[in-house]
Amino acid sequence: MMLLKEIGAELVAMFVGDARLAVCVLALIGGVGLLVHVAGVGALAAGAVLVLGCLAILLESVRRGAALYDRQ
Amino acid sequence: MIWSSVLPAVGASFAASVVEAVEAFTIVLAASTLHGWRPAALGTAAGVGALAVGVGLFGPLLAGVPIQILQLTIGVLLLLFGLGWLRKASLRAAAIIPLHDEDAIFATHSAGPGEATFVHRRSGDWLAATMAFKAVVLEGLEVIFIVIAVGAGQGLLIPAGLGALAACLLVLLIGALVHRPLSRVPENTLKFGVGVMLSSFGVYWSGEGLGIDWPGQDAALLLFVALFLGAGLAGTALVRRPAQEVVQ
Repeated sequence: MMLLKEIGAELVAMFVGDARLAVCVLALIGGVGLLVHVAGVGALAAGAVLVLGCLAILLESVRRGAALYDRQ
Repeated sequence: MIWSSVLPAVGASFAASVVEAVEAFTIVLAASTLHGWRPAALGTAAGVGALAVGVGLFGPLLAGVPIQILQLTIGVLLLLFGLGWLRKASLRAAAIIPLHDEDAIFATHSAGPGEATFVHRRSGDWLAATMAFKAVVLEGLEVIFIVIAVGAGQGLLIPAGLGALAACLLVLLIGALVHRPLSRVPENTLKFGVGVMLSSFGVYWSGEGLGIDWPGQDAALLLFVALFLGAGLAGTALVRRPAQEVVQ
């Protein structure tokens, strides 16, 4: 049972190593979904938001990670 | 079959699998050093068996999932996985966190959970087998996920699977020859590259799943690779520290 719990925890950590990054990605995907299907924004513009959003999330996450290690 | 999508899929699957296989091999080797090759081999075989059963049971279910839901789900998981790898690889390249050290991991696992635990040979064998089993299952699940993620959306499961298999066999072959942790594998560079590839596939499939038709179809992947590579390198440069300041 312990082994299964450990494997389960590692699996979750595989995708949610950094909770804030995960929440930002999910919020971005949800937001782009709304842009496409509710607001009727064009596919190209929505795609650009998705790509640029991911790049921004990455850069912010790296910057925040470095700041966190600095504080430690 | 379009080479612009086959090569990135096989390459990402191969490189990611090298990283995972090296990690699993290090722990299996440590287990075999502790209690001989038999419990480590048994744990490894049980791990491979459990993975095979899992793939056999759940693999066919993939065919029943509507393609757009599959693309979106895989895309989101790939983004979570890929951006996580890229973030960590950037922090390692910037000397913010220490590099993954297979020698240190081998030493930690070889030390075992303490002498008192190994009073009985049988319980020690069980621990070594469990250690090998867990390593193979966890790293194997990551390999399976990557193969599905880069292959399922575009009918490239077999090429991606062959790329992963080749990587595992290569690591096993080199590991059997040198019989020590494969610490010379440029693991962070591989993780950086795989993070770039997985994030690119993640954006591509998430977009497709949301109904976005990317201009240039598969060729858009090349643009995403360039953008994520640039962002990863920029992130590294942004936070880089001199080597002596690395947090241990």
